[in-house]
Amino acid sequence: MNRHDLLLRIRGLFLRRRAEQELDDELRFHLEMSAQKNAAGGASSEEAARLARVRFGGIDRAKEDCRTVRGTQLVESTLRDIQYALRGFRRSPLFVLTVVGTIALGLGLNTALFTIFSTYVLRPLSVHDPSSLYSFAWANRSGSEHRFSWRDFEKLRETNLAFSEVMATEYLFGRMDGRPMSGELVTGNYFKMLGVSAARGRTLLPEDAAAPGKDPVMVLSYITWRNKFGSDPNIVGKKLVVRGYPLQVIGVAKEGFGGLVSAPPDYWAPLTMAGQLEPGADLRLWIIGRLQPGWSLSQARAALAIWAKQETADLPDPEKAASVILQSNATTIRLSPQVIIAFSPLMTAFGLVLLLACANVANMLLARAMARQREIGIRLSLGAGRRRLIRQLLTESVLLAIPAGLAGFLVSRGSIDLGVRAMFATLPSDMAELIPAVSLPPDVRVFVFMLIAALVSAFLFGLAPAIQSTRANVMLAARGEFTSDVRPMRLRNALVIGQITVCALLLICTGVMIRGAREMRNVEIGFRTRGTLFIELSDKDRPKVLSHLAIAPAVEGIAAVQSIPLDGMLPNLIISTGDRPRTVNAWHNHVSPEFFNVLEIPILEGRSFTREEAAAGAPVAVISELAARTLWPKADAVGGQIRVQRDPQSDWGEPLPKYRAVRVVGVARNIISCSIPYGPDPALIYFPSTLAGSGSLMLRVRGDVETVRRALVSDLDTMFPGAVNQIHPMDQAFELNVYPFRVAAWVGSTLGGLALLLTLSGIYGVLSYLITQRTKEIGIRMALGATTGEVTRLVLRQSGRLAAVGVALGTALALGVSRLFASHLVFLNTFDSVAYTAGVMLVVAASLAAAYFPSRRAARIDPIATLRYD
Amino acid sequence: MAQSKLDLLQGTLDLLILRTLESSQALHGWAISERIEQISQDVLRVNQGSLYPALHRLEHQGWIKAEWGVSELGRRARFYRLTLSGRKQLELETNDWERLSAAIGRVLKMA
Repeated sequence: MNRHDLLLRIRGLFLRRRAEQELDDELRFHLEMSAQKNAAGGASSEEAARLARVRFGGIDRAKEDCRTVRGTQLVESTLRDIQYALRGFRRSPLFVLTVVGTIALGLGLNTALFTIFSTYVLRPLSVHDPSSLYSFAWANRSGSEHRFSWRDFEKLRETNLAFSEVMATEYLFGRMDGRPMSGELVTGNYFKMLGVSAARGRTLLPEDAAAPGKDPVMVLSYITWRNKFGSDPNIVGKKLVVRGYPLQVIGVAKEGFGGLVSAPPDYWAPLTMAGQLEPGADLRLWIIGRLQPGWSLSQARAALAIWAKQETADLPDPEKAASVILQSNATTIRLSPQVIIAFSPLMTAFGLVLLLACANVANMLLARAMARQREIGIRLSLGAGRRRLIRQLLTESVLLAIPAGLAGFLVSRGSIDLGVRAMFATLPSDMAELIPAVSLPPDVRVFVFMLIAALVSAFLFGLAPAIQSTRANVMLAARGEFTSDVRPMRLRNALVIGQITVCALLLICTGVMIRGAREMRNVEIGFRTRGTLFIELSDKDRPKVLSHLAIAPAVEGIAAVQSIPLDGMLPNLIISTGDRPRTVNAWHNHVSPEFFNVLEIPILEGRSFTREEAAAGAPVAVISELAARTLWPKADAVGGQIRVQRDPQSDWGEPLPKYRAVRVVGVARNIISCSIPYGPDPALIYFPSTLAGSGSLMLRVRGDVETVRRALVSDLDTMFPGAVNQIHPMDQAFELNVYPFRVAAWVGSTLGGLALLLTLSGIYGVLSYLITQRTKEIGIRMALGATTGEVTRLVLRQSGRLAAVGVALGTALALGVSRLFASHLVFLNTFDSVAYTAGVMLVVAASLAAAYFPSRRAARIDPIATLRYD
Repeated sequence: MAQSKLDLLQGTLDLLILRTLESSQALHGWAISERIEQISQDVLRVNQGSLYPALHRLEHQGWIKAEWGVSELGRRARFYRLTLSGRKQLELETNDWERLSAAIGRVLKMA
């Protein structure tokens, strides 16, 4: 297609009438000239004109050929189809509204999900050239990642290998001005390397991180500045106390920048302040480099692997680098097969709801197409091409899908807004405070997704009805019979069975999740969370705070613990009894003697530690019931000797007991230390520690825990500013553990509810249509003596048949899905019979309910009236 | 009389239109058809029904250009003119045609 062609086509399209007029004029001129010639030859004027026309041939054919050359028919016929479809829509606004609403709901929910996916996984971070950013680490032979120290980072920077620039960051939880906030300690080049500017003041510069402890400054994130500091115009220059240490705000980062992680920090401070902000703690750096231009990923990986192996060649085996990990940081979450797998059940569930909506609309269109069978039959017998008719019907579907897409966009915005609100309303309050308000703006990707999804659904719901309804037999249509050859019922029944199947599947899965979430709340965790707080203190204020807490009237008991329960896995140890070679993996924790008392963990045999043992660091241990049974299946554990070995595969730098052999002094009941979904601990061994030592504190308090916490925080913050890094009720830790499952249950319920509604209306539609179709037959049956009860049963039986097939298929699918997930979701009983029964019952009840009204209508059919029609 | 005339071979109409327009100023469709028949000494017969689609097709290709003008008898008519790219196309097609007819001629003589 060249320039002339394009211009002429456009002209033909927009100046169609003029082009037609010109074609007429041109041909008329020709015919007149031709006639004139004939007249000059002696013919009469009429005869001359006739001869001219004969000589020319088919004038309309020539015109049509000229129009073909113009190349605008496709557009023109489409425009005609659109006009035709719109006229049809105007006649049935209720139909249009139902279709648009149904599809909009399905599209909207899917777009909402896609928006979330796109924001985290697809959208490049708003930093300079995000695709060249890679995080770097190396791992030892057993796969545990190296813990990067400042020295490691310096060495990497000096090599100038593979990366044109490297930076390091460390996440820091703590309280700032009395509120829990999260920060990131960064190297001085962080903002420059990412190309992130300041909305106010300035960002950190390399000079701000030149020497340890010299520059107490920070940059706030835009969203924190807006939400937590009310967009204070005078924020720059103010001093904010982080973990008891005043840092001066030098600027606010640009809007939309939230670091490189999925939980955006509230502020950034120089890494050189680590000594002040977390004294005594070892750094664990996260390294990010910008790949040198011209280097491929595999080149970089190879070069870095050689370097890392050289660097660690002289170290003991567990510290030797065996492999390097180089992962893209272009998006917040790297698009990987694991992410797709994690997202796919959710996407499938949402997609199924859209599919249900499409099935419903397809059913409605089929019913409508049957009503239009006469029109379509006539058009077919008049010579309209079937392809052409299908195109016209699909045009109609697309015309329905476009407004549905627009409405769906509003639905997606609404549901995202509702979802975020619901999340903040239901999250444990301490957690809600730590999470900044997420913004999930739609972007080009979302619109493209929306468009494609709308078009795909148009084909999904439009194609089957279009093909089905144009199958009419021309011979029959010409005789005026429009229904006899068409068997749409089979297709409609298949659609409804499909709906019931999907509905049953979704409801059963929802049931499993709801039951699982409930179950989790009732799980015996083995210790008391009510009235218990945990506190993390800065080391320098620990003795003073402890002595204050000891006399605080609200505090009933204090214990120290290395790893707070319900806060993740504990470090592993390899233990064995003195007399047997068999070794056992066991988690370990350091607790003060009061621990078992404060958390109400019963000591089943023996005793807890004494204060003297704790103070002296005596080689004694309390072990869990499971550990006792594993090590001494028959004998008494108390008094037994345990040999302790470091586990090279789980070396997190946790403190270890200094001794190699310990004596068991007591056996404590099993608890859940890691998390509720993870389930009961494996063998667990406690070593003694003291309150004054290290670790978090657990407090048992009198009265309302929230009131006590507030009072403690205000007292401690005034007396020892910055002493308290964290203080949270254990109840919230518990809630946080079960929260994801509650969310899953809510999302599942919403989807299941929608699926049920859609299926209900689908069954209702099909049965209503069936009654209309079989009115004559039912009339005859009644005339021959069938009772209304029999007629009602006839309709209910029809619905029951559909439901039976659908439910059977749905249950089978659910069982398949359960098998698939059973090994991954150990904490859920994916074969929960109650959930299965409830889901099946619900679907069957819904099918019968949907059949009730059509069956009533069937029972009211007047046999005399129906018979009189023929 | 019509029987003695030859119908144009498929695809040669374009060539003849271009050639006709090359040797004269702008012509309207009627004049083109008359000129072809006249020059061929009434041996060739232009199918008038396919003349106009052919003209429009050539116009879409950009080889000829159409303008409304006034005919010799004072009537409004659509005049076609050869464009520069049309001239090139004519050269190409003339070449092709000559090679083709020469080849056919040789085959006919030899066989």
